[in-house]
Amino acid sequence: MSTAVIEKDRAVAPKKPKKIKLDIGTKTALIISVVLLLLMVVFPLLNILTRASEGTGREVFANILESAVTRKIIMNTIVLGVIVATVGTVIGFFLAYAQVKLNFRGKKLLHVIALVPLITPPFAFATAVISLFGRSGIITRDLLGLTPTLYGLPGLTIVLSCSFFPVAYMSILGMMRNLDPALDEASASMGASKLRTFFKVTFPMLIPGFASSFLLLFVEASADLANPLVIGGDYTVLSSRAYIAINGEYDVPAGSAYSLILLIPGLIVFIVQRYWGERKSVVSVTGKPTGTQTFVENKIAKFFLLVIPVLVTSFIVLIYATVIFGSFAKFLGVDNSLTLDNYRYIFSGVGYDAIIKTTTMALIATPIAGLLGMVLAWLIVRKVRRGREFIDFLGMLGLAVPGTVLGIGFAITFNDVVKIGDTTVLPQLAGGGAIFGGAVAIVMVYTIRSSPAGQRSGIAALQQINPAIDEASASLGASGFRTFRKITLPLIKPALLTGLMFAFAHSMTTLSPIIFITTPETPIMTQKILAEVDSGRFGNAFAFCTLLIFIVLGVMALINLLVRGKSTNTANTPIVRA
Amino acid sequence: MDQTVKATTSSSNLQLRNLSKVFGQGNEKVTAVDSINLDINPGEFITFLGPSGCGKTTTLRMIAGFETPTAGSILLDGQDMSALTPDKRPMGMVFQSYALFPHMSVYENVAYGPRTKKMPSAQIKTEVEAVLESMSLTTMANRSPNQLSGGQQQRVALARAMVMRPRVLLFDEPLSNLDAKLRAQMRIEIREVQQRLGITSIFVTHDQDEAMSISDRIVVMRNSKIEQVGLPAEIYLRPASVFVADFIGISNFLEVASVKASTEGMAKVAVLGKEIEVPAHKDSLTKRSILLVRPESIRVKKAQAGNQTISGTQGRVKQVVFYGEHVEYRIETEIGVIVAVASDPIYEEIVQVGQYAEFSFDPMRSWLLPADTH
Repeated sequence: MSTAVIEKDRAVAPKKPKKIKLDIGTKTALIISVVLLLLMVVFPLLNILTRASEGTGREVFANILESAVTRKIIMNTIVLGVIVATVGTVIGFFLAYAQVKLNFRGKKLLHVIALVPLITPPFAFATAVISLFGRSGIITRDLLGLTPTLYGLPGLTIVLSCSFFPVAYMSILGMMRNLDPALDEASASMGASKLRTFFKVTFPMLIPGFASSFLLLFVEASADLANPLVIGGDYTVLSSRAYIAINGEYDVPAGSAYSLILLIPGLIVFIVQRYWGERKSVVSVTGKPTGTQTFVENKIAKFFLLVIPVLVTSFIVLIYATVIFGSFAKFLGVDNSLTLDNYRYIFSGVGYDAIIKTTTMALIATPIAGLLGMVLAWLIVRKVRRGREFIDFLGMLGLAVPGTVLGIGFAITFNDVVKIGDTTVLPQLAGGGAIFGGAVAIVMVYTIRSSPAGQRSGIAALQQINPAIDEASASLGASGFRTFRKITLPLIKPALLTGLMFAFAHSMTTLSPIIFITTPETPIMTQKILAEVDSGRFGNAFAFCTLLIFIVLGVMALINLLVRGKSTNTANTPIVRA
Repeated sequence: MDQTVKATTSSSNLQLRNLSKVFGQGNEKVTAVDSINLDINPGEFITFLGPSGCGKTTTLRMIAGFETPTAGSILLDGQDMSALTPDKRPMGMVFQSYALFPHMSVYENVAYGPRTKKMPSAQIKTEVEAVLESMSLTTMANRSPNQLSGGQQQRVALARAMVMRPRVLLFDEPLSNLDAKLRAQMRIEIREVQQRLGITSIFVTHDQDEAMSISDRIVVMRNSKIEQVGLPAEIYLRPASVFVADFIGISNFLEVASVKASTEGMAKVAVLGKEIEVPAHKDSLTKRSILLVRPESIRVKKAQAGNQTISGTQGRVKQVVFYGEHVEYRIETEIGVIVAVASDPIYEEIVQVGQYAEFSFDPMRSWLLPADTH
């Protein structure tokens, strides 16, 4: 039937009857979201491009070929990205494999622990790792009598791999769950052993998953700013170089230029991924599993398959224990006696202000980001035919662009009034002297960094909903917008929930874009943590991290309660089919 | 079902004028519907029948407004619908997947349309309850759609479309997800409701039995075009083309020689060495033609003992399928394999595989039609 072709665009043909137009509500939603995206991503990026082409910026580009220092920085960034992407993908795969193919006690717990790094503030890992394994670390020096050099590539590898592997884990897990068990059964029925089935059937089908998570991790790791600042030592990468250029040398063109180089891998990966995404039909999403999942029963195989997952999750638990214990210790590793001094310090000083303001701004940004993501998803999947790829691209750009780049873009764009010709269209939004102490720009950054997650999960959820459901609503007289409110939104509520929770956690733990636009009037928790770590007050940093983690968990629980509570018990059930 | 849902005051007529739909652009253009014309009478039950990809669903979706025609117009009681979005068209649709809203109860599903129309709530309650009652769904009102059986879901989908009192009801293969028995039962229910309310209806299916049993008229589609429009009996017994004959039911096509005109609507042809007079399509005299004989028109009897020849009228039985009320034979003959159906067979007279059988047919039960298949 025509289902295969209805996706195609309408053809231009002679004697065209009047075109059916989008209704007002849909059109408004489309215009508002596109304007927001242009303002929050495209505009800052264009400004970076302009500034990077000025004097010192041009020098940076010229130096790529000439200066050994610049080349070294670029090489460092690539090496770090490749190592972390490899390690993270391998860890992610073993964890996913254990979840899908192994039967063991504590499987759920392993899953939860594996996701914990997603909500961990950027310095928690680095600081805890230094305290445990550094030159004067509790484990290395006190227990083993070693004094290793952790600063630099080794430390960055450990910390970044642990921070980012959940991304790989989630994407590979999703893919493995979607593999039809009947394929395994078919392979077995043709006489293949479990091992042969794995290498000949399972593994080849997972290659796109590996590739995409590798690329994703590469971008995340190569663009990270927080950890290179704390544990990078003299291993300089592009993001830390850009940070120094702007915050230390006050050389905006050079900073823009470094960040522009950083943007390149991000954009390439983003485009490759989209191309790949179109083609990943190798994975058989049949909806109805036709067989039952078989588990690996061989004891020896099971043991070896579980080594990595157990080690990694234990490590995460250890880190968390260190962070929490460290927040109550006088000086972890030196004086382990318990105290509340760290918390007292935070609540007495500027820390309290940072907690309140960061949380408030994240709470403002979260619903905006969630809604923006869902509206974009809906427009892309259901409403817009021509240009949907472009809107999708614009929407995802907020995440595809490294935080450092976005931060610099915001700083140079919104630190001044925005003018079109001679008319001021926007007041100064960022930096000292900005309206609301620069809070508007920060909320904007939170929003644009978080909405892509909502957009992705919204698109995935919408694609699972039979378009006939929307059509049924239309044929019953509902406008496009009423259909969105009454039918689509309730059906994608679980996705919305995920989007909202991610948005909040992401906002609370983000540093790289914020560090360039934070002001004394609006202190940000992650930036405060950096300051504490920088001045060696690890206890305060641990206390901050602990508080941050609990705020994130608390708000996530609250969102869960709010969004789930209102929905009916059938909201999670998928499309009705006979 | 009772009569609580009142019939719409007047039935509507629907006209399709040069309706076309082209998907894609440039080199990837696919013509899904090619300039079709059709007049549907008020209160008529029309079925679009055809193989996959023939354009029947696209046509339906253009009528509903989900696809924009590339050319042509859709007139409802003379008013052009082309510029109206689906929500502005007075048409109800029943989807193949039912498309029930999974987050709403049965009642809420049915009330969705009236609520969208901002009907007074008292009226909504009365109307929804009446429709549910008429579809025997009252006890299911508070259930969630996925707590219902396939047949019940189907009824909710129908109730939801009917409560809007549409001027046209559109059905997109609504029975294809049901098992055979339920399908037959729902056919009758749909037909009954449609006749009671007199709603002009269009039903898309690829199931010929469904089309034959439910429709006033059948529109057979092929390769984006209408192949034939006619009453079910006309489509089956007087097909306009080999395609139609072949698509609906089983056909034996016999080569004919020396076609000559006879009395009105008849032709003299030589077939299997005999000259007979058969009903003929008007084009069969001018074009190369072929004789259609349906399996049930062929009489089969055991060949006389010892007579084991294969000729034009006798052959060896290759396959015997026993259905209970009839037996289906496949007989290898000089002119190819002939399919014959013997209804209400006498046990002793059933011919076994490998045995030889004579066959014959009544010329009045055959049909001469043009042989070319375009």
